[in-house]
Amino acid sequence: MGSNASIMLQQEDLQNICQQTGFTVKQVQRLYSRFKALDKRDCGYLTREDLQCIPEVNINPLGERLIDVIMDDYGEHNKINFKQFIFLLAKFRQGKFKSLITEYNTRESKLRFLFDMYDRNHDLKIDRSELLDVLKMMVGGNIHDDQIATIADHTIGELDKDGDRSITFEEFCKTLERIDADEKMSMKFLS
Amino acid sequence: MLQVKRFNRLYHYWSSWSLKQRVTFAVQLFAILGILCLPVISIAALVLTLAVLNMTLGIRRFYVKVLTFLFDYATKIKKDKEIAIEADFVSMGPSTPHSELHFADSSIDSAIELSPLDAMKKEDDAAQSSRISRASSQSDIQFRFSDILDYTRQGLEAIVDDEVTKRFTSADEMAVWNLLTRTQQQHELFSLRVTILWFLGFLIRYFILFPFRLCLFFLAMFWMMGAILFLKYLPISKGKLRFGFYINIVLHRILSRVFSAIITFHNTEHRAKCGSICVANHTSPIDVIILSTDNGFSMIGQKHGGFFGLVQRSLSQTANHIWFERSETKDRHMVAEKMREHIKNPTNLPILIFPEGTCINNTSVMMFKKGCFEIDEAPIYPVAIKYDNRFGDAFWNSSKHQLVQYLILMMTSWAIVVDVYYLPPMRIQPNELSTDFARRVKAAIAKQGGFVDLEWDGGLKRSLPKADFREEEQRKFYEMLKTE
Repeated sequence: MGSNASIMLQQEDLQNICQQTGFTVKQVQRLYSRFKALDKRDCGYLTREDLQCIPEVNINPLGERLIDVIMDDYGEHNKINFKQFIFLLAKFRQGKFKSLITEYNTRESKLRFLFDMYDRNHDLKIDRSELLDVLKMMVGGNIHDDQIATIADHTIGELDKDGDRSITFEEFCKTLERIDADEKMSMKFLS
Repeated sequence: MLQVKRFNRLYHYWSSWSLKQRVTFAVQLFAILGILCLPVISIAALVLTLAVLNMTLGIRRFYVKVLTFLFDYATKIKKDKEIAIEADFVSMGPSTPHSELHFADSSIDSAIELSPLDAMKKEDDAAQSSRISRASSQSDIQFRFSDILDYTRQGLEAIVDDEVTKRFTSADEMAVWNLLTRTQQQHELFSLRVTILWFLGFLIRYFILFPFRLCLFFLAMFWMMGAILFLKYLPISKGKLRFGFYINIVLHRILSRVFSAIITFHNTEHRAKCGSICVANHTSPIDVIILSTDNGFSMIGQKHGGFFGLVQRSLSQTANHIWFERSETKDRHMVAEKMREHIKNPTNLPILIFPEGTCINNTSVMMFKKGCFEIDEAPIYPVAIKYDNRFGDAFWNSSKHQLVQYLILMMTSWAIVVDVYYLPPMRIQPNELSTDFARRVKAAIAKQGGFVDLEWDGGLKRSLPKADFREEEQRKFYEMLKTE
């Protein structure tokens, strides 16, 4: 008998998190339950394996890359604790009305996350090799390597304004804003 | 002063008695103690009689009604406290109204079948419309930076909530708290009244109910031992199986009282008959006990050691069960052969199988392994077992609790309330694949029990999905790139 996790969500923390992220109390509690459910060894943080265990993430072609982004950019030493977890998720709150936007879920932060999915060396540019990596992950063995290279070149060529064979964040945002990418990246958080 | 005087007087009396008077006194004392023990013996006899005659005094149902009332009261106190606390919080947006308690899962669950491949298909329409200006020839595939959007979002959504991982833990949010700390949510709201209630409940469960149930458990063990001795020395071999059948049922009825199980059987006209296979969803080892209070079954499974092994060996005395060595379980042909042999004999009891292969938490049914559905000689009798979580969560989380630990948890819960639905028999159609037949049976059970019907394999509890699934996703993405 007795409560499961050794970490309880303190009232103070809860209030802080709600104010900063804009989540409601219920939403934070639900996400906390989820965090604990994923944290099978009850150590207060999630590892890569914990996230890879989720079947739908495992079969997602970009699952590994997503976990990389989460662990490297939002966690530390291959661990992510609850605070980091929830501030990450706060980015994807819907920002339809001005009143719902905090510093976390701006349009720019959502687009920045997508940019980071490509840009793993953090040089603020997506170059050809980074694009190739992502393409390979998504199509697997269905397209030959040389054809993939052609596709990558074409994609960069279309958007590259300054001819340096790589895409900056501004160029990236322009192409995504056209399709309302930040709206599509918003998630509904149930409370 | 007065008490010391009294004590002196008593001692004076005692020392003035003769030996005969002292002996008489001692005998009278033991007689009184014996009479006090009578309740224990009489209760044991009562339980035994009820089990044999398949009657019930309705005590457990009344007890459950009282508990429901208590839980509602405790939850009301908690709810009031919660509203008070939430009112203190500054809320940022107009998004959600507070203090709306509804089952967490009810808004996500639906009766629609979700396959692992469908799960990725969710919002493709928006993506389709952006591809209108693609190149016309098939070999000229274009990739846009925005193509990672859907998969990224789906990945994040899966991290926030997915269909599978929540099936392997106890359903954690409940609308009504049942005064068990094991189902406590993480927000510790201190309320004196509720804590007192909980403490009383704790005392009752651990110091009154648990010893009582333990005694019943020993009664069941005695019954079993007596029955085995009886069967060993029974001369007639034909009647042995008949006796075995009834002994089994009585044993399981006593055991169901050990867990304070309140079982309601529906559609008993579809009870499984001899020479058939009975298939049910699996939530806990207690499933077997519950089903066996109404019908006799032949179990099938691998031989265990230890406590479970002892149970298996003793059960084998009462009926023909099919036990395998660990090495033989991989050999599907042999398993099927043994089952066919068993079915051919008309006096053999129906085989009870849990095709999910592992315990699921009673909110969904997961993939049925096709092994037993390939045997076309026997009809399949599906059974849906639905537990009511309010009085005790029956799900066995084998990574969290050992079996004995789990049984103790069960014996210190309030009660196990369960609905068992017998479904009409199903047979495989002439041109039907066994996997499709398995899916059909699973859908029938899911519909009856109100479970979410999932195609995911229960084996995902312990292992990762096969690489084929990801390759399938990559193939689908490739197909999408090709088309306009």
